[in-house]
Amino acid sequence: MDDLLNDFLTETSEILAEAAGAIVAWEADPADRERLDAIFRLVHTIKGSSGFLALPRVTALSHAAEDALDQVRRGNRPADAMLVTAVLAIVDRLSELCDVLGRDGAEPAGDDGAIIAALDGRQAEADPAVEVAGIPLRREDDLLADGQGWRSIRVPLPLLDSVMTGVTDIVLARNEFARMLRESGADPALIASFDRLSDSIAGMRHSVSQMRMQRIDKLFAPLPRIVRDLAQETGKKIRFTTSGGEVELDREMMENIRDPLIHIVRNAVDHGVEAPADRAAVGKDMTATIVVAARQSGNQIEIEVRDDGRGLSPDALVAKAVAARILTANEARALTPAERLGLIFRPGFSTAAQVTAISGRGVGMDIVKANVEKIGGVVELRNEEGRGLSILLRVPMTLTIISGLMVRAAGQYFAIPRGAVREILLENSDTVRIDRVGGGELATVRGQRYPLLRLEEVLGCPRDAEEDDDDRALVIVRPGQGQSYALSVAAIHDQEELVIKPAAPIIMATGLYAGTTLPDNGQPVLLLDVQGLLAAAAIDAAEAERGEAAAAEEAAAAAAARDAAQLLLFRDTDGRTRGVRLSVIERVEEVPALALFESAGTVRVQIGDDIFPVHADALPEGHGTVKLLRLFDGRTVLCYPVAAVVDIVRLPDAVQPAAAPGLVAGVVLIGGEPVELIDPFWLMERHASVLTPSVEEVRRPLCRIADDADGWGGNFLAPILRGAGYRVVSDGDAGDGEAPDVLLCLAADDGPCVHGGGGVPVIRLRASVATAGPADETIYRYDRQALLDALRRHVGGGRP
Amino acid sequence: MIDRLYLVARIADTRVALRSDAINSVVTVGQPVAVPAAPPHVAGIFALRSRVLTLIDPHVVVGLPAVPVAPGQRVIVVDVGGHGYALLADAIEDVCFIAAPETRVAGKLLPGWARVADAMIEHDGASLLVVDPAHFIAAPAARAA
Repeated sequence: MDDLLNDFLTETSEILAEAAGAIVAWEADPADRERLDAIFRLVHTIKGSSGFLALPRVTALSHAAEDALDQVRRGNRPADAMLVTAVLAIVDRLSELCDVLGRDGAEPAGDDGAIIAALDGRQAEADPAVEVAGIPLRREDDLLADGQGWRSIRVPLPLLDSVMTGVTDIVLARNEFARMLRESGADPALIASFDRLSDSIAGMRHSVSQMRMQRIDKLFAPLPRIVRDLAQETGKKIRFTTSGGEVELDREMMENIRDPLIHIVRNAVDHGVEAPADRAAVGKDMTATIVVAARQSGNQIEIEVRDDGRGLSPDALVAKAVAARILTANEARALTPAERLGLIFRPGFSTAAQVTAISGRGVGMDIVKANVEKIGGVVELRNEEGRGLSILLRVPMTLTIISGLMVRAAGQYFAIPRGAVREILLENSDTVRIDRVGGGELATVRGQRYPLLRLEEVLGCPRDAEEDDDDRALVIVRPGQGQSYALSVAAIHDQEELVIKPAAPIIMATGLYAGTTLPDNGQPVLLLDVQGLLAAAAIDAAEAERGEAAAAEEAAAAAAARDAAQLLLFRDTDGRTRGVRLSVIERVEEVPALALFESAGTVRVQIGDDIFPVHADALPEGHGTVKLLRLFDGRTVLCYPVAAVVDIVRLPDAVQPAAAPGLVAGVVLIGGEPVELIDPFWLMERHASVLTPSVEEVRRPLCRIADDADGWGGNFLAPILRGAGYRVVSDGDAGDGEAPDVLLCLAADDGPCVHGGGGVPVIRLRASVATAGPADETIYRYDRQALLDALRRHVGGGRP
Repeated sequence: MIDRLYLVARIADTRVALRSDAINSVVTVGQPVAVPAAPPHVAGIFALRSRVLTLIDPHVVVGLPAVPVAPGQRVIVVDVGGHGYALLADAIEDVCFIAAPETRVAGKLLPGWARVADAMIEHDGASLLVVDPAHFIAAPAARAA
């Protein structure tokens, strides 16, 4: 019984979260029948399972909501704000009941009469002015996910974890075995068969790590509701959209950013956007826009909350901070603009003129920042005063494999996230100058000064006497926040793909480590926290920057430029290093090789329920996984297979263009090495014939097939036309009254075409190969090219 | 009186009893990797198959000097707060049911032991301290300061 109740509670809480979001979206578009049906099904599910468990209050509430929604479905009552509010009230009450059920195991006594009565409209009318205030929307594809989300089974998390651990054990055993096999000089046939096993283990490891991942949709689901309610309370009009819901995140990570995200969204509604009257006064659209967007970028997930409100005013922030005695007027004058914005992350700071009921939940931006940093993430602000604020959360992807640089110090190995490494130099190289200044050390690399940290000193270990000074290297580290610095290590080992797991709290508490990882040799390695090292070395990044305000501003400008044009470096399948502008990459996918297939001369890949063309001449060999760059031009997706993603760098200004258009648009120098720049235009153009618009359909010309007496038109001709990008109707179709753009007449060779006229061009097809004479304008019906040419001449459109 | 299963081991030069429900397993320690700057009772980390365990030296916890880890030494694996730890044991003696009830700690213990001991129990004609492995993991507050 307890198990049943637990299942019911977990399922119901998920359904309620989904339902609340769906209801709010439906309110925005009451004509959306599909969405209404979906909500109805959700409520119906709760009613069904609660009846089975004998929970009379839950049953009564869900029954009432189901009833009211059914009335709407039958067209007996309109969907208005009052109904939506009443249904949401039921959802709330159900959540409360579930909470109590989870705690006490029994349904509490109580009266839901008032809430149920509200459904019938017997309560006071809702304020009509408020009714139009919140118009949150969700993207279409988010909704589609709702329907499929339920095609799943529930598995206890510990079981999932044990499967994961098991697979990792298998991988380690495999590595051990592979080493022994190599050393024993085994038969190549044996090795080949072991490699096959090895490939399938790699595939399995990938699928298992996917199992812990969840679509970020789940995180977004409660947001429309929160925005709607808050907008009503504050009398603001807000258009709310989310995107990137298909990005996947480890579920534990998801729990950690849930509260920060909700807080930021609430802030955006409460403080970020202005009241409609204020917006009108400054010439903005009365309806404010808040966008929550997620995307995967390298080894990080970025979640952006963007509003078009008033933005932050650095001067107001300073005034407030001084008033709140967070800093003195003198200190305030020395702050750079970036530091002024950073004030909102100081404890005890709140930007609202007065703390409102909404924001006064005891969570400030300082907590948000602390929470995000706890999981190794970064919070960034992009402010345009008067035009809006965008808050960017960047969190690392855990349990997925990150690329790490292995370094040696004090006789042991440490890993540094490759993403934070800007440059690696030998310490005795000519470009490096090291100065001892007042007890500290400074490294100057090509005119750029960095504080120098010796890893052994930061960790408090003696240097290993056996290490050669000639091997000592400087790693120029750029932490997510704060200043870049030079980290001196005893030696650089190599670069490896690492699975990062959290270390024990007593180890994390040192602030020096971001986790542990187990490389293939089975010896655990600590992952260094590049930001923590800086803190441990007692170099306050902000302090150091304050002295060089000008330099910091310059760096900010450079960073802005970097954001504008970043280059994703990857190793192509032919082994060459190439680059492509980061902005055209939607995300990087890793799919099993089996997901790729060939059809009609084009390699395609199935990802989820979508099929995308792949830029490849042949299917990849082997059974492992394939990394794909998803290029996105705003409408269509093309996948580009790569061997490995190498790095993200700033796109240099000097591009040597290629002589002729082709895959390579030009060559740039990255770190002294020539890198070929991929031309996405050429790629998209080349695959244009098989790319299907994924966002919206362009209007395609309509062909009408007339006099299709023997069905040849419907059976033979229509598929070709559709394939060429035309829409087809035939005599049998009632059609929706839309005038065709062209008429294809299949009447017998000498018969008249009865459908002509009306200004619609007519193309006549004949059944015989021979023409009737020089003036014959008909086209032989199996001459595909002539037919398509004629169509294009008459109506344009279609695809070549 | 319900018999309870105990692990009798020698840790930090003292015979103690650990309640078996607190223990994951007893294994042989792998080659530990040092964790620089960690609290002194953290003897390192080592891999047990795909898990990375934090090695705890009970000597340091009770106020004795640290002992070097010997290859093949046995450790008691415990799970605390979702993380795996291993307590270095001088010797593992027995796993047995002890019928005698746990009693309040009588007499004065050294401060280090007082912090980790929950109770005492009579076994084979000797008094054993019943210790909670979780107490070994949190850094000794006085020492950390």
